[in-house]
Amino acid sequence: MNKKIISIFFLLIIMVSMVFAYSYLTQPTTEEKPYDYSIDSIDNKDISDEIDDLLIDEDYEVEIGEMV
Amino acid sequence: MKKIYSILLTLILLISTTSIVLAGAGDDKGNHFGKDDDFEGDNDQNETEKEIEIVNNTFGAEIRLLQLEKALLKNILKGEMAVQVLIGLNFTTTELESILIEMKALLEEVRQANASSNASVEIFVFLKNESKNFTTQFRETIRGMLNDTSLSELRVRIKEMLNASGQLDNYNKRIINLIRTFNGNQLYRLYGLIGEANSLFVNQYLNGTLPLNETKLQLCKIINEMTKEKKYEIFLEIKGENIRRQIHAQDVIENIGNGHGKQ
Repeated sequence: MNKKIISIFFLLIIMVSMVFAYSYLTQPTTEEKPYDYSIDSIDNKDISDEIDDLLIDEDYEVEIGEMV
Repeated sequence: MKKIYSILLTLILLISTTSIVLAGAGDDKGNHFGKDDDFEGDNDQNETEKEIEIVNNTFGAEIRLLQLEKALLKNILKGEMAVQVLIGLNFTTTELESILIEMKALLEEVRQANASSNASVEIFVFLKNESKNFTTQFRETIRGMLNDTSLSELRVRIKEMLNASGQLDNYNKRIINLIRTFNGNQLYRLYGLIGEANSLFVNQYLNGTLPLNETKLQLCKIINEMTKEKKYEIFLEIKGENIRRQIHAQDVIENIGNGHGKQ
């Protein structure tokens, strides 16, 4: 009787460990936030950022790497 | 005896399970180093994607091609200076010189590229990739010839020679003029969008008397004073255009990656 209980106990431990192992290995690394473009969620900074995207930074340079 | 046997068996199983977990975590860490290269590659791709967002516009294509021409010429000049120094130190520079010849031929291709072509985006990406490949070839060859200390000294010497030559000054002026015209057009459109006829700030920006951030600030001030609904309408209009450009750039990069582009 004792042996059976011990075996079941250990079996449970193994199963729990496996569940933890599985969940650890399959957990998502990043969670994407859904976009919210409702009228109340837009502030002046959002508009300014979008205007920035329309314009070209005067100091930007195309990079092809260093020779030396 | 049986008890010991079952405990031992259970321990083995537990250790195996723990190993699987640790191996998984180890793989993640191990992959991290590989991912650095991927990250660099992703960064390059994001950079190129951002650059080509404006290339479907002739003006934008002209700007990016001129920026590429400047970057390539800068590297050729640096390469020639490096070769001069190495010849002075009695090194054989045949391989480096042949890379420079190919870079000069590529520079001609960049100069002759048609900014108004339908395939200007693909042409830009192809020429940029070629420029990067030759630069990497040159860098790796020279790194095989000199030690770190000599390379650092050479870098300093080349920088001084390049600054003194002033050969890129003309490019800087041309690029800034093109960028100002491009931004000026965008600003005129934005003023049109908000229903403002006042183009004083844009003209000042085009003349070089008002910096870009100040010009943008003036525009934002006008938008900030508008009603919530009007602001939202303007936001959607600009956002829509930005998203369309981003999607187009991503499409082109994907097509090139799938072998449908010039590459």
